[in-house]
Amino acid sequence: MAESQGDETAGGTRGGQYSGPTAHVPEPVHDHHDDPAFITRTRFLTGVALVTGGVMTAAILVPVVGFAAADALKDEEWRWVDVGPLSDFPDGETSSIAVSGPAPESDRRAFLRHRDGAMIAIWNRCAHLGCPVSYSPGGDVYACPCHGGAYDSLGRVTSGPPPRPMDRFDVKIVTPDGQDVARQTSPAEGVSTAGASPEDRVLLGRPFSIDEEQNPFKLHGPGELVTGPLSNLYPF
Amino acid sequence: MATTDIGPKNPAVKAGEAAFDYVDKRTGVKTGAKWFMFRNIPAETSWFQTLGFTAMALFGMQAITGIILAMYYKPDPNSAYQSIEVITNEVTWGWLVRGMHKWGASAMIVVVFLHLGRVFFFGSYKYPRELTWVTGAILLIMTMFMGLTGYLLVWDQKAYWATVVAVNITASAPIVGPYVADILRAGPEFGPETLSRFYSIHMLVIPGGMATFIGLHLFLISKLGIAEPPYSKRRMAVERAEEEARRAAENERLPYGRREVPAVAPATPEPQKVEGAS
Repeated sequence: MAESQGDETAGGTRGGQYSGPTAHVPEPVHDHHDDPAFITRTRFLTGVALVTGGVMTAAILVPVVGFAAADALKDEEWRWVDVGPLSDFPDGETSSIAVSGPAPESDRRAFLRHRDGAMIAIWNRCAHLGCPVSYSPGGDVYACPCHGGAYDSLGRVTSGPPPRPMDRFDVKIVTPDGQDVARQTSPAEGVSTAGASPEDRVLLGRPFSIDEEQNPFKLHGPGELVTGPLSNLYPF
Repeated sequence: MATTDIGPKNPAVKAGEAAFDYVDKRTGVKTGAKWFMFRNIPAETSWFQTLGFTAMALFGMQAITGIILAMYYKPDPNSAYQSIEVITNEVTWGWLVRGMHKWGASAMIVVVFLHLGRVFFFGSYKYPRELTWVTGAILLIMTMFMGLTGYLLVWDQKAYWATVVAVNITASAPIVGPYVADILRAGPEFGPETLSRFYSIHMLVIPGGMATFIGLHLFLISKLGIAEPPYSKRRMAVERAEEEARRAAENERLPYGRREVPAVAPATPEPQKVEGAS
């Protein structure tokens, strides 16, 4: 006690430096919340809650969205559709026939055009917005009731809004027991019926799009162009 | 309270007030209802400003009649048209409920567009009501989509081919269009799944979204209040005063919106920054 008192009294004189009692200076406050690199309990639990909530939401939404959309985006599986014997489609006639295809409910029809020993199958879907076109045998032309699209005998646009000719179906002719008689080599020529007998079957296959010169393209939806710069609007 | 309100209270009134107080103390419903319904509105508010409520009332009517119609309608290609015939011709007042739903849909489109025009021509979409406009635009899109999906449900030739065309218009949108169309159709062709999908979108997906956005729209209207119409006397006075201030400032050759700098020197010199010091 005395010693400390002596120190105190001496403090003021030694070396001119004050070493007496000083006010308490607290240590600088170190709050972890001010340090962006430090993981506090609050930050950790916030992160855990966000991640858990995100995982739970994704666990619900991903299956639901996939369930709603994934099957719809699948390509159609095509098989050959038997539309009848060759005698149903005599040379010089254009006949309309239902193509049930993979979806029996669809209103898909084909115009089977048999001329000069060759047959082509034109899909009745208008290339503008998908209305069913009708065939008028008098002028040998096709007309769409919705927006006035008109096509010539081969399905090429003569007037109206359609951006490309009508789509075609692949055609082949087989014997009743399934042997190939003739197949389509180019859309312009069609399938030759010269060597086929009347009881041979006519089969329709995968549809495809054509341009004005009847070159084949992958099937496009209505309203889509197959040639020109605007055809790049639909890259997939 | 009126001066006639003296003496013992009617016990039924007392019980009613007690019940109301019980709910109010636990929910704050009185404050909320006051905030929502008893707002100050501009003096010139007129019948034009009732179009939004009309659209909402029509939405309510469509919801109620739609719920009743869903009790009889069968979303199946083989029985859809037949079930609508039964609703129209056999169910009691079915013709009335179906007619209300059908004509209410047309009326809703008309009223929504009138409301849009009113908001546009009154300039009510301007600050601070831009987000009210955005939610309204989303509601407009959903209303149109309700029209599209509901049109198919009749499942006659007109409904079928009109929807084929509408979905093909969707498909002609660049890049994503074909995918959106495939999802809408539930595949590359119209079929039975298309009908049930449109039915689900029409009666579950979009009504939920519309109810949500109507709630947001109403919240923003309550929060921001009704805009003054352009012919408002107060607003015109404010604009005239602004115009006069602009003219006066031009006469003084001062840029509009600036005040003259006071000619008093600052009391203490500003600390000088040394060039080159970092």
